[in-house]
Amino acid sequence: MSEFGGMDELLQDFLMESSELLSDVDNKLMELEKRPDDLALLNDIFRGFHTIKGGAGFLNVNAMVNLCHRTENLFDKLRNGELQISAGLMDVILDATGSVREMFGALSQGRQPTDADPALIAALDAALAGQAIAPAAASAPAAPAPGTGPDWNALYQAVTPQAPAPAQPAAIAPATSAPALAAPVAPAAAAPVAEPPKTAKPVAKSGGGGSSGQQENTIRIDTVRLDMVLNLSGEIGLTKNRLTTLRTEILQGNTDQNTLRSLDEAIGQLDLLVGDLQNAVMKTRMQPVGRLFQKYPRLARDLARQLGKEVELVISGEETELDKTMIEDLNDPLVHLVRNAVDHGIELPADRVAAGKKPQALVQLTAEQVGDHILIEITDDGRGMNADALRRKAIEKGLIDAETANSLDEKQCLQLIFLPGFSTKDQISSVSGRGVGMDVVRTNIQKLNGRIDINSIPGEGTRISISLPLTLAILPVLVVRACNQPFAVPLAMVREIIPIESGAIQEVSGRPTIVVRDEILPVRMLAGLLGWEPTQKPAFGVLMQSAERSFILAIDSFVGRDDVVIKPLQNIRPKGVAGATLSGDGSVVLVLDMEDLLSAEGASPVGNRLSELIAL
Amino acid sequence: MADKNLRFLVVDDFSTMRRIVRNLLKELGFTNVDEAEDGQVALHKLKTQHFDFIVSDWNMPNMTGIELLRAVRADAQIKHLPFLMITAEAKRENIIEAATAGASGYIVKPFTAATLEQKLAKIFQTMAK
Repeated sequence: MSEFGGMDELLQDFLMESSELLSDVDNKLMELEKRPDDLALLNDIFRGFHTIKGGAGFLNVNAMVNLCHRTENLFDKLRNGELQISAGLMDVILDATGSVREMFGALSQGRQPTDADPALIAALDAALAGQAIAPAAASAPAAPAPGTGPDWNALYQAVTPQAPAPAQPAAIAPATSAPALAAPVAPAAAAPVAEPPKTAKPVAKSGGGGSSGQQENTIRIDTVRLDMVLNLSGEIGLTKNRLTTLRTEILQGNTDQNTLRSLDEAIGQLDLLVGDLQNAVMKTRMQPVGRLFQKYPRLARDLARQLGKEVELVISGEETELDKTMIEDLNDPLVHLVRNAVDHGIELPADRVAAGKKPQALVQLTAEQVGDHILIEITDDGRGMNADALRRKAIEKGLIDAETANSLDEKQCLQLIFLPGFSTKDQISSVSGRGVGMDVVRTNIQKLNGRIDINSIPGEGTRISISLPLTLAILPVLVVRACNQPFAVPLAMVREIIPIESGAIQEVSGRPTIVVRDEILPVRMLAGLLGWEPTQKPAFGVLMQSAERSFILAIDSFVGRDDVVIKPLQNIRPKGVAGATLSGDGSVVLVLDMEDLLSAEGASPVGNRLSELIAL
Repeated sequence: MADKNLRFLVVDDFSTMRRIVRNLLKELGFTNVDEAEDGQVALHKLKTQHFDFIVSDWNMPNMTGIELLRAVRADAQIKHLPFLMITAEAKRENIIEAATAGASGYIVKPFTAATLEQKLAKIFQTMAK
């Protein structure tokens, strides 16, 4: 049926919509484990598989039709009370959703997915036949197609008295010759099952929820939002017409009070409208984080089962909206953090009971908008982090020396886990510790202009907070001047601006510092960081704070705050420059990347970073 | 063949599926198509706007296709509308249930434009009698 128009587009739509549907099914399955008799849940899951199957049928993805058909039948029997859910059955079903997800992956790369693992199909068929579930490992020979009414075709013809012309006449066996095989809904799907299982190895099980690597490049937008954009651009058009008229009048020498007032009004209106338009366009990029979050309960569950732990992942604030690109880039860090919470944070049920806790652990994943940023928190009620253990570990790994270690307070010790090469597990488990450490998590969050913080109470649990700006498209900056040139620094890092008096700068171990409210902060000259000769003594200091360091950026003067759209520089990438933007008077302002700028200085960046870290 | 300006209502909770059906109808020359995402929305549209033909999925949240069918047949204003049930459900009892509830036709997914055309032609034929 590939003659169908707009196939590629349809495929994209299908993938997006059914991936959501599948995540939803996954979550409902988690619920079902708690309430195995909930009819509404069973119905929903049934409908999920049914809908995916329907779509897959149109796209001719027989492997998927085949698999979904079985799971759908299974849920039909479950909701009719013909079968009962069991732990073994649940595993088979979850395997099936994992397999469907892999097929989505194959489709998104433009490949026709391979058939599901024959053992999985066999297990589903066995379950359908009412047999107790053997672990899906046994590669049983393919069972006959599931028992839909054998004579349906005849009946179908009887009810709708015309020759049915199914999609693939060739694939449908005439009802009389092979009734058992005429699985009506999935005509072609019945065939592969009847063959002995091929040598095709089952696709590697990824456990679902991992990063798929490929980014979606389509977006779904609420039409109300799109209409708003349309509306505003229309109004801007009207205002532009007004301005054109006014220009003609002014060019003709008509500069009386009225004309000028009209000009002022029109420009004021344009200002408002453009601001609104920017907001409206930004909103079209905003997506609820729920779409991201909904993958994680399954991830946590699978992991917990693998580790013999009992964990429930509770999600809240899934309607909180974030820029689409950020949502995608958040996936890897969040997967890592959820894994960490389950693997490192949560104790085994027996240990939990011994510590006077409930055997089932709770991991909470929350999102909320706080002011102009989004706060995402992952909280577990596990064993928490022990400052001494972290300290010892860091020394053992040779990341810090004993002397530095002892000078760290508890809060600083927690920060140690962000050091590259830090892992508290002695053995790299298959679960966490796959080379992506907390340092990568933090780097990724920082790339999004975000911050990550840890709070932990030994015995009670750990909370990791990620704070992110609402969008990456528009960056609030502070415009400062050095060497008679304006520069923009991200406002998110600015804590305060202080005047620098000549006597305030003190030398501590050969470096200039300023004491601000009992805190000793290093001073960096912006001109010096850029490698320029300062043209005057710095008059102001901007107290900057990022996750790993605080310092004072010494500048000549400052212009003010501004919201800018960063234009990346093509082909060249000067150290410390994130991009450029235009200021109101039309001059070019370089936007500085402070992390990059600071890493350029200092001979041993790691040692430097460490001392910075400790100075935090 | 039937008037190409007939106004269709395509009811399905899965937007990809609505697009597929819409595309198939377009291939047949029917371009006057509106969509609804479940039975309730469909019923509301049917009561407030003019339609000539309903193409509905069976399995939907809130209000299923069969419930929609019964509601349509129970409403004097719209009971005459042809109703084509589209579903992957091909069990005997389902087909009978749809037939007894008054479906004008029943079509099993997946199908081609040709199949759809045949079904439509059949329904128009019956209506013309």
